Amino acid sequence: MKVNCSKDSLLTGVNTVLKAVSSKNTLPVLQGILVKAEDQHLIFEATDLEMGIRCMVPAHIEKEGVTVLPARIFSDLVRKLPEAPIELELENDILKINYYESNLSLRGFDPDEFPLLPDLNGEETFVLPVDIFKNMIRQTIFACSTEESRPVFTGCLLQIEESNLRVIATDTHRLAYRIAEISNPENCKFQGIIPAKTLNEIYRLLRDDEENLTIRFNEAQILFQFGSVVLLSRLIEGQFPNYKQVIPQSCQTKLFLNTRLFQDSVERASLLARDGNHPNIIKLSVESERLSIDQSSDLGEISEIMNIKKEGNDVNIAFNSKYLLDVLKVIESEEVLVEMSGSYSPGVIRPLDDPNYLYLALPVRTS
Amino acid sequence: MSQLTQALIEVEERLNSLLEEVQRLRPYVQSLEEENARLRRELCALPQQETERVIANAQQIQGVAHDNLERLYNEGFHVCHLHFGQPLEGGDCLFCTGFLMRD
Ligand SMILES: [Zn+2]
Repeated sequence: MKVNCSKDSLLTGVNTVLKAVSSKNTLPVLQGILVKAEDQHLIFEATDLEMGIRCMVPAHIEKEGVTVLPARIFSDLVRKLPEAPIELELENDILKINYYESNLSLRGFDPDEFPLLPDLNGEETFVLPVDIFKNMIRQTIFACSTEESRPVFTGCLLQIEESNLRVIATDTHRLAYRIAEISNPENCKFQGIIPAKTLNEIYRLLRDDEENLTIRFNEAQILFQFGSVVLLSRLIEGQFPNYKQVIPQSCQTKLFLNTRLFQDSVERASLLARDGNHPNIIKLSVESERLSIDQSSDLGEISEIMNIKKEGNDVNIAFNSKYLLDVLKVIESEEVLVEMSGSYSPGVIRPLDDPNYLYLALPVRTS
Repeated sequence: MSQLTQALIEVEERLNSLLEEVQRLRPYVQSLEEENARLRRELCALPQQETERVIANAQQIQGVAHDNLERLYNEGFHVCHLHFGQPLEGGDCLFCTGFLMRD
């Protein structure tokens, strides 16, 4: 292998695939990044067997070749390279990196041991609009669970059905639901739980100027292709619970709130909600047209009052402030509608002007 | 024997065998009809009173079951089918609440 390229190309390649490098001490070769020179491109690949990423960057290839380099040291070195023309040269299993009159060399792994990334050619294909999909990820992913003991909750359910695209996430204490209308002339059908880690990477790697994202899938895997990136992920096995049955069909109280003012109030109150027994629990009380959040702890106390528009009953209810802030941060609408039915039923939060998003959180039972 | 006579004999033989087939099937049809009538009679025989008692019983069992599940949940265990019987960790469960409120 003999290649001339820029530092930028190397950096783009390394940064794109780095998150897929295995962090566990399994096969040593999985702690490496595959670098392949082929057809005027450098191809970078990494996988931890759950997720694999491939990225192609332009380069001048004098001689084709392939190696696997230890990810940590390779990425650190690339980051520190000067902004100068860079030459890569592979001899036996040693990669020499030349810049100015300096050079360094790295010992690679045997590329034959590196697992192939299946490209799912021949499987069903569908094209998603990037702007819509990115927003769907952003508005749901935070509701995923991080507990590995219950795998189905560590990902988002993605559903493609007729002209509807749905993304749903829940950790069993709260649930985020987003639906969007898409064009689906071939009547493609898909339902699968995509690991949150995969969606985080897609969100990070998708550029706003990209229009479309192609997905290909089978029973066990899903592949995302956009720009010069291919990301393959396993799907989480298991049955996603029936989310429809937990969405309340009616409510006793409706609050119409200014999103940012409500968010600020909750944020201030949560700073003082540091009580050892009930950390981050804030109590809302609604009396006629006033919403108040009163909080006191060893640190001090706060009394937030908001004048609001209300329909229905007064209510006293307590929430984990994180559950409220997480959703308020991802709602762009000026006003939110909060629906409640007493102190124990889930509260529903939705943007007032957007029927396609819904979030529900269970209140905290306080004595 | 003319060809026509021969043909007529063959038709007659075929008709005879069909007739035999019909006679063989007749008792089966008859017994199926009797069975059908008997089942209809049995279905109607359950008195109205009995039906009401069965329904009331089922409702009571359901009510008791619901109360038991609610108690179990309040004592800190999942009653949703996802994690039935497992301890509630990290707060209430949407699916348990959804299940308990539904009926
Ligand atoms: Zn449960």
